[in-house]
Amino acid sequence: MSSSKPDYYEILGILRDASQEEIKRAYFGAAQRLHPDKNVAAGETELFLDTQQAYEVLSNPTRRKLYDATLLPEIEVNRVVKHEVSFSRPNLVQLGEPQLVYALLEAGPREQKTKTKLVSPPLNLCLILDRSTSMQGDKFDIVKATAIQLLHSLRPQDVLSIVAFSDFAEVIVPASLDRDKKKHEGRIQMMQVSGATEIYSGLEAGVKEIRRTLDPQRVNHIILLTDGKTYGDEGACLKLAEEAAAQNIGITGMGIGHEWNDVFLDALAAKTGGSSAYISKPRDIERLLVDKFKTLISTYADDVLLEFKEQEHIKINYAFRLQPEGGSVEVESPIHLGPILQETSLQVLFEFLVGPGMLDGDTVTLLDGFMKTLITARPIPVPPIRLKLTRKIMQNSSTAPPPPQILNALSLLNLYRMQERARTAADAGQYDEAVRHLQNLATHLLSQGKRSLAKTALFEADNLEKKHAWSLAGNKDIKYSTRALLLSGAKEKAG
Amino acid sequence: MIVCPHCKEVNMTGAIFCAECGAQMKDKDSQVTQRNIMNNSSDDQYLPFGGSNAWGSLHLLDTGQVLPLAVRNEFTIGRISEGQPIMPDIDLSTSQAFAAGVSRLHAVIRREGARIIIMDLGSANGTYVNGKRISPNVEQSIHHGDIVALGKMKIQILVNNNQGK
Repeated sequence: MSSSKPDYYEILGILRDASQEEIKRAYFGAAQRLHPDKNVAAGETELFLDTQQAYEVLSNPTRRKLYDATLLPEIEVNRVVKHEVSFSRPNLVQLGEPQLVYALLEAGPREQKTKTKLVSPPLNLCLILDRSTSMQGDKFDIVKATAIQLLHSLRPQDVLSIVAFSDFAEVIVPASLDRDKKKHEGRIQMMQVSGATEIYSGLEAGVKEIRRTLDPQRVNHIILLTDGKTYGDEGACLKLAEEAAAQNIGITGMGIGHEWNDVFLDALAAKTGGSSAYISKPRDIERLLVDKFKTLISTYADDVLLEFKEQEHIKINYAFRLQPEGGSVEVESPIHLGPILQETSLQVLFEFLVGPGMLDGDTVTLLDGFMKTLITARPIPVPPIRLKLTRKIMQNSSTAPPPPQILNALSLLNLYRMQERARTAADAGQYDEAVRHLQNLATHLLSQGKRSLAKTALFEADNLEKKHAWSLAGNKDIKYSTRALLLSGAKEKAG
Repeated sequence: MIVCPHCKEVNMTGAIFCAECGAQMKDKDSQVTQRNIMNNSSDDQYLPFGGSNAWGSLHLLDTGQVLPLAVRNEFTIGRISEGQPIMPDIDLSTSQAFAAGVSRLHAVIRREGARIIIMDLGSANGTYVNGKRISPNVEQSIHHGDIVALGKMKIQILVNNNQGK
């Protein structure tokens, strides 16, 4: 395609076979962002006029046809994001039973031709702080101190809002560019603990704050810090997270101590492509929050959204994001895969379960859909990337070993998954099985020299066997420690 | 279906790690697991290799490797296998021990004053001294230059007499 002539499809960020409905939606989205009444950056009015022209042509089927005829054949290369997929097996075999195949998806920024450093995007950040009675003491003092530190480390272009919640929510620092630090600091200092944990009230107020300064060219992100369980409003929270995700608002969950519900916080964050973190000691709060802040300001793409049609006899059994932040990923379309950082690509491992019914032809389609990337520093949308994962079906299975990157990913994930299996079994009341999984986990940990974690696993196995319950901290310790092992392993290999 | 070589659990075709015990399904000596063991074994486990004032050493005839025996007076010999919490002091798994028929906990070598003793720990394929099989769990004196075979793996015993006294 010649670079002088604008590609209308690229301008609208759609595929060439987009339906009228999709064209309309893409145009409205772009128009809202780039309308002369709202846009701020120089040159955006021109972009707006381009989108308008693109829409005028493409929305008219006759004109679209004429325009399509002038286009050169589509180049299958996305100019902004590059991606790569590797598989555990070169081909599947004809079998009368289900089989597994793994795929590792990696997506990162395409090397820029100009060696200019990528710009760090401005933030629209909201801290939602639990101030229920249980936060009393050290925990809350450190939370306050960290919030103040964060307030001071903001750059002039960043927006920070702070919401505190217990049974009800209160906006401590409203979202705005106004930076009366003294006043805000005083407000943070004045926060008192009281009441119970009701996450929905806090989340609702937080989302409301972040929406006031919502801007697609900022990294819009919520950090929820809690130490307790919420009762009865989980469903409402998840729904709100979904709505937030649709507006490209990310959520990170941070749980302090032993009481909080890690499964819920994980699920909540996963709705937006985020993850959860475990803070076992109050003094870790500061480090985690500061790390998170650094991650956010090095964001390249807020989120990669994977949309696909379900394939008959194919199921995504399991999906896990290995980097930049390890975390569970949902398995049903649309999947928020998570962010791409400037320095760290996105890596997600999928486990596909292929049913026997699908293996009559000579190829099987595991996944057919596209990835949408929203890049913060880019006013024009990125064209979606078509993602079609297929495997040939052969008579005999290949003897070639899986590629090293898949083997690495799976071996890193192995311990974490054993821990997950133990939890699933324990939740289902199958304590014998859970105990066995934990003992197996302990043997692996031992053989890798991780004695103290192995001890924790054995201790929990003992607990489950005798009391049919986990100790207060045990399951979270094991979960987040095996997750940390996985991530440090991934980093080692990358570095 | 494929069967886990370690726990015999039946897994789905295509599985790479066993869903039951977490052992790798095939390619036991693959790079990943090896590296994990090698990388991490140093973090809290005593390594006999590399001592300067060794009282003896094991000369692996197949690979030419020499493993010094130092600091301690007793070493168990075997191979680490994934999924088992057995940690011999001297791990031969990197030297094709599995193929040679070395048991996980095969034998123990000990120094008592100037005497060097080997004892088979009930291994599957036996321990031989100069070609003669020794009975399990019975101590047997060995000397400088003797060839000890663990299964098919031949090891020459080298004794440093200056240190032995």
